[in-house]
Amino acid sequence: MLVTGLLIGIALGFVMQRGRFCVTGAFRDLWVTGNTRWLTAFLIVIAVQSVGVFTLDALGVISLSSSPFPWLSTIGGAFIFGFAIVLAGGCATGTYYRAGEGLVGSWLALIFYALFSAVSKTGALAPAVTAIRGVTVEASTVHGVLGVSPWLLVAALAVAVAALARHHLRRRPAAPMATLPARKRGIAHLLFEKQWGAFSTALVIGVLAILAWPLSWATGREAGLGITGPSSNIVNYLVAGDAEVIDWGVYLVIGILLGAFIAAKASGEFRVRIPDALTTVRSIGGGALMGIGASLAGGCTIGNAMVNTATFQLQGWVAFGFMIVGVGAATRLFITGPSKARLAAAGQGSASTASEHESMRS
Amino acid sequence: MAQHVLETDGQVCPFPLVEAKEAIALLAIGDELVINFDCTQATDALPRWAADAGYPVTNFDRVGSAAWTITVQKA
Repeated sequence: MLVTGLLIGIALGFVMQRGRFCVTGAFRDLWVTGNTRWLTAFLIVIAVQSVGVFTLDALGVISLSSSPFPWLSTIGGAFIFGFAIVLAGGCATGTYYRAGEGLVGSWLALIFYALFSAVSKTGALAPAVTAIRGVTVEASTVHGVLGVSPWLLVAALAVAVAALARHHLRRRPAAPMATLPARKRGIAHLLFEKQWGAFSTALVIGVLAILAWPLSWATGREAGLGITGPSSNIVNYLVAGDAEVIDWGVYLVIGILLGAFIAAKASGEFRVRIPDALTTVRSIGGGALMGIGASLAGGCTIGNAMVNTATFQLQGWVAFGFMIVGVGAATRLFITGPSKARLAAAGQGSASTASEHESMRS
Repeated sequence: MAQHVLETDGQVCPFPLVEAKEAIALLAIGDELVINFDCTQATDALPRWAADAGYPVTNFDRVGSAAWTITVQKA
């Protein structure tokens, strides 16, 4: 039933587009504003999925296995991937769903991400990636290292995430938040217009991430959500014609693209948008580095930071941490650093206005 | 009270927000900043920033397919 991959993908793309769920944004906010609202949403997905996955494992629906932790490639690859998603303006899923919104920059990032995933997994860089991934330690899971039941970690994560969510839900902004005027009613308003809450969006994504496990398992692909492997498989299929590589994951990522397109189109949020020269170069470079980084790390923000964390793999949590560090480095280099420099330069002029500021920039 | 316009069409997040912050820093209290943008995620990020900063939003609307405008008053 490969078609279940397509359905989960469509649902995921739809929810991510409508909920404005962006992992790059969640990690970037930490460095730009220090805000943890979207990071909390991301952690909700991990916690919800964690409860589901260990329940499925206990019920024997799936059986979680583990392998030695490739620490070197995880650290290096996650840093590269984190750095790259700031350049590309979105992580792997973010790039898929923005491509569905019509952003040509994301089309380019997506093409180069898929291409360099294949180059790194099965192409010219594969021997190097395999060699670096061969540097391992004989430990695989957090609960294994600590010698505790995984349920203890699941409970600790759930409590911590609930406390964070409560903190954000209790916070009141200084002024009421403006919303777009409603033009639709009923279910159309809810699906195609209303601003979805970050945390309710996260709950839905968490449920979809749980469903992905048994549905993918049933087709012989023994994993949860994953983006990089399937993207590489698409390239391999297209250039080598090997239909064997078309698995549940391939249907999933195509579904994300479709779901995001449906959501954007029905909400009046689809338009083919052409990036400027700088954004184009960054999208291509970012996409290529994403492919290399994710292949080294053994997964992207979804496969590693959202799924391997839920199963408490060391690889998942270490990748999660170093992706945030990589995002921080690129944010400082390309976003906050230049912004501070412009503000300092503008502050020197006594009668600066917004329009002068505009002309100074260009 | 003066009104200033910031065009960010074609820029992906977080640049509309980053530029809005830079632009509003240079305005006088009471002045309005009109931000035109086409990054979908900014429909969340910009009004949230205004609310957190305590800046009133005097206009927030769609102006076409995947195109929005928001007017933030410096307070």
